Amino acid sequence: MTVRRAVLSPLILFAAVIGQLVVVNRLPLPGVGLPDVVLLVVAALGVTAGPATGLLAGFAGGLAIDVAPPGGHLAGEYALVYCLIGYACGRIRDLLQGSNAERPATTSLLVMMVGVAAGEAGKAALGLMLSDPDMTGPAIRHVLPAAVLYDLLLCPFVLWLVPVVVGARTAERAPQPQFPQSLRLAPAFRLASAGAAPKLRLAGSTLPPVPPPVRAEPKLRLAGGRSSLSSRTNGAFSSAPGSALSGRPTPRLNLASAGRGNQLGGASALRAPQGAGFQGKSPGKGWLRPPKQAGTTARPGRSPRKGWIVAGRPAPANWQAKAPGKGWVRSPRPPSPGTWRRRSPGKGWIVAGGPVSPANWQPRSPGKGWARSPKPPAAPRRKSPGRGWLRPAAPGALAAPTFRPGSPGKGWLRPVGSGALAAPTWRPSSPGRGWLRPVKPVPPPRRKTPGRGWLRPARPPRQNWYTKGPSTRWLRRGRRRRLLLGGRR
Amino acid sequence: MHEARRIRPVLIALLVVAIALITLDFRDSGASPVHTLGADVFGPIERVAGDAASPFIGFFHAANGNDSAEITALQKQNDQLRAQLAQEQVSKADQAQLAQLLGRSASGYRLVAASVIAAGGEYSDTVTIGVGSRNGIAPDETVLNGDGLVGVVTSVTSGTATVQLATDVSSTVGVRMADTGQIGAVSGTGQTMAGTDDLRLTLFSATATLHAGEAIVTFGSVGGRPYVPGVPVGQVISVTSEPGALTQSALVQPYADFTGLGVVGVVVPRPPAKAKAKART
Repeated sequence: MTVRRAVLSPLILFAAVIGQLVVVNRLPLPGVGLPDVVLLVVAALGVTAGPATGLLAGFAGGLAIDVAPPGGHLAGEYALVYCLIGYACGRIRDLLQGSNAERPATTSLLVMMVGVAAGEAGKAALGLMLSDPDMTGPAIRHVLPAAVLYDLLLCPFVLWLVPVVVGARTAERAPQPQFPQSLRLAPAFRLASAGAAPKLRLAGSTLPPVPPPVRAEPKLRLAGGRSSLSSRTNGAFSSAPGSALSGRPTPRLNLASAGRGNQLGGASALRAPQGAGFQGKSPGKGWLRPPKQAGTTARPGRSPRKGWIVAGRPAPANWQAKAPGKGWVRSPRPPSPGTWRRRSPGKGWIVAGGPVSPANWQPRSPGKGWARSPKPPAAPRRKSPGRGWLRPAAPGALAAPTFRPGSPGKGWLRPVGSGALAAPTWRPSSPGRGWLRPVKPVPPPRRKTPGRGWLRPARPPRQNWYTKGPSTRWLRRGRRRRLLLGGRR
Repeated sequence: MHEARRIRPVLIALLVVAIALITLDFRDSGASPVHTLGADVFGPIERVAGDAASPFIGFFHAANGNDSAEITALQKQNDQLRAQLAQEQVSKADQAQLAQLLGRSASGYRLVAASVIAAGGEYSDTVTIGVGSRNGIAPDETVLNGDGLVGVVTSVTSGTATVQLATDVSSTVGVRMADTGQIGAVSGTGQTMAGTDDLRLTLFSATATLHAGEAIVTFGSVGGRPYVPGVPVGQVISVTSEPGALTQSALVQPYADFTGLGVVGVVVPRPPAKAKAKART
C-alpha cells in the first residue's frame, strides 16, 4: 500500500496541477471564482494519508502551480500555503482521532473543508501581503467567497476520489464491535467449557478427511455452520449491521481478528510450546494453555479437551470475544458437513484472540479461566456435554442480533476487530500456527478424533478480509518447516 | 505523535524554502529563473494536455473541436479581423500617416495562430498559448482574436508563450478613439475573473469629450511593440466624470471575451523578404 501510495500520490497531484491549469482555469464557470483542484487534492491527501504526505504534496503541488507557465504570482507563494494546509489537515485529522482509529468520513470531510477554506484565505492573504497587483482588496472580495464555495462543493467528491486512487481508503473498515455485556457471560461460559471436552469440536473449518464418525455426532460445535453461523454472528457481533462487514463472506472461525502479531502477545511466546514439549501433546493443551506451561506440563496422552480447560484465566475485558464456547458448544445439531468444512477451528481459536488487543491477549488465555472455574461443570462430560448446557435457551436467540451478550462463541468465530485483522503484519505472529501446527502430534482419534477435523481443512477458507491472515494452507501440508519459519501467507 | 515530531523539521525546511523562493522572486519582480525552469518543464506537458482538452473546453465554449476546424475558423477570423481593422481605421490619411510614422505598413505583420492551452488562477489575468519562440513568437507582441485585442506576450519558451491579458491590472494599452482620434490609455481593473471584464479608459486631453458607444482602437507603439496600431479594443459603455479630475475617464467593454478565449493570433513582424505574401496561419 505504501508503494502504491508513493507512486499514485504524485500522479494524482500532477494530474490535478495540469487539470487545474489546462481545464479548470479555462472553464467558463458561472460566478466569479474557480475551484482550486490542487488545494483540494492536497487537503484530501493530508486527511487520508497523514501530515507527512500532505506536507510534501502541498509543497510540490504549490510549487508546480507557481512555476508552471501561466504563472501570475511569485514562485513559492502557493507552495507555502499548500504545504501548510496539507500538513495541518493531516495533523488535525490525527489529533481528532488517533491515527489507528477508524476514520469516519464526516470528520475527514469537515477537516478537509476547513482546510480548503483556510487555504483559499491564505492564498489571498499572502497575495495581499506581497502586494500582488492582481490581488487587490476588491478582487479578493469578489473572488474569495465564490472560490471557497466551489471548493467546498467539490470537497466530498475529491475526498472520495483521492483514497480510491491512492489506495489509502481507511474509512471503510467495519467498526470494531464492543461487547460490554459479554463479560457477564464469561463465568457461565467457563463452566460450560469445563465439561465439554469429549465431543467438543473445534471448528468445522475443514471437512475431516475421515468423515463418518466425526461428523455423525458432533455434539459441540465450535463454530456455527457456515451459513447459519455467519448470519448469527453477524447479527450479534457486528454493531453496525449495514457496515462493510456484511457484504463479505464471514469467516467462521476466525475469531481472532487479532491485529498484529505483536499485539497478540508476540509470536515467539505463542510459538514457544512447539519447540518444547508441544508435539507430543494433544493439540488442545497447547492451545489454551499459556505457552510456558504448555512446554512443561503438557501430557501427550491426554485428551485434547484438557488442555483446553487448563488454559489460563479468562481475560476480563475481551474475553468473550474470543470465547468460543457459546457458538460452538451450544449448537444442538451436528454440524453439517458443508458447514463443517469451512472453518478451521484451530485457527479460529488461536486467532480468535485477534480482536482482542495484543496486550490483553496473553494474560487472559481463556483456557485457564475455564479450567479454574470455581464450580465443577454441571454438565456431564462424556455425554454430549455440549448440548445440555451449551445449548442456547431459545434457538432463536442465537440468530437474534441481540444475542451478543451470551454468545461468546460469536466473538470467537467472528473477527472482532476487522481493522486489526486487516493489518498486514498480522499474520506472521498469528499464534495459531505454532500451536496448531502439528498434524501428527494429534493423538490418534480416540474420542472423536477432534484433532483431525480442525487440523486438516478440506480447503483453505476463502481468502477474504479476515481469513486471509491465517492461511490454512499450512495445516494441510503439515510441514514443520513452514511452521517454524513462521511462514508467510 | 512521534511521526509528527519526525516531520516537523521537514515542514520547517519546506517553509523556509518557500519563503526563500518568494523572496528571490520578489526581488526579481516575478522573473526569477524558477519560472523559466517551470515553463520549460510544464510547457510541453501543458501543450499536449491543452490540445487534448481543447475539445472539452471547446464544448463549453461552443467553440471548434479539432485542428482543421480550428484553422479554418482562424482563417475566417483573420479575414474578418482584417476587414474590421480596415473599418476601424480612422481615415486613410491617418493610416498613411501612421504607417509613415512607424515605418511600417499594416500589412507588414502576419498572424500566428495559437490556441490557449492553460490559464492562470482566479486572481491572475494570464493565459498560456501553444506557440513559442519556435514559431517566431517573441515577447512584447500583440495578441488578438477575431473580436479584438487580447493582450501582449510577456514571456516565451520554445513551445509556449505567456500572454498578459488586457484586463490585467498592470496592463496599460495606448488607444485612441476611432471617431475623434483622441488618445488615451486603457488599463485593466484586475477583476476579469471577478466577473467584470471592463477596462478603464483615461483620455489624455482635458478638452476631449466621451460618449457611450464610441469605439476604441489601439494607438500603436513604436515598432509595433508591444501593440500594433488599429486593433479594436472595445467600446465605451459609461462615462465616469469625477469632480476635480483633469481628464475624463470611462468604462470600456472589450470586444474580446476574456473568459472564453480559444484561438488567438499573435501579430509578428513579417519577415523582411516579402510583405505581400499571404499571411500564413
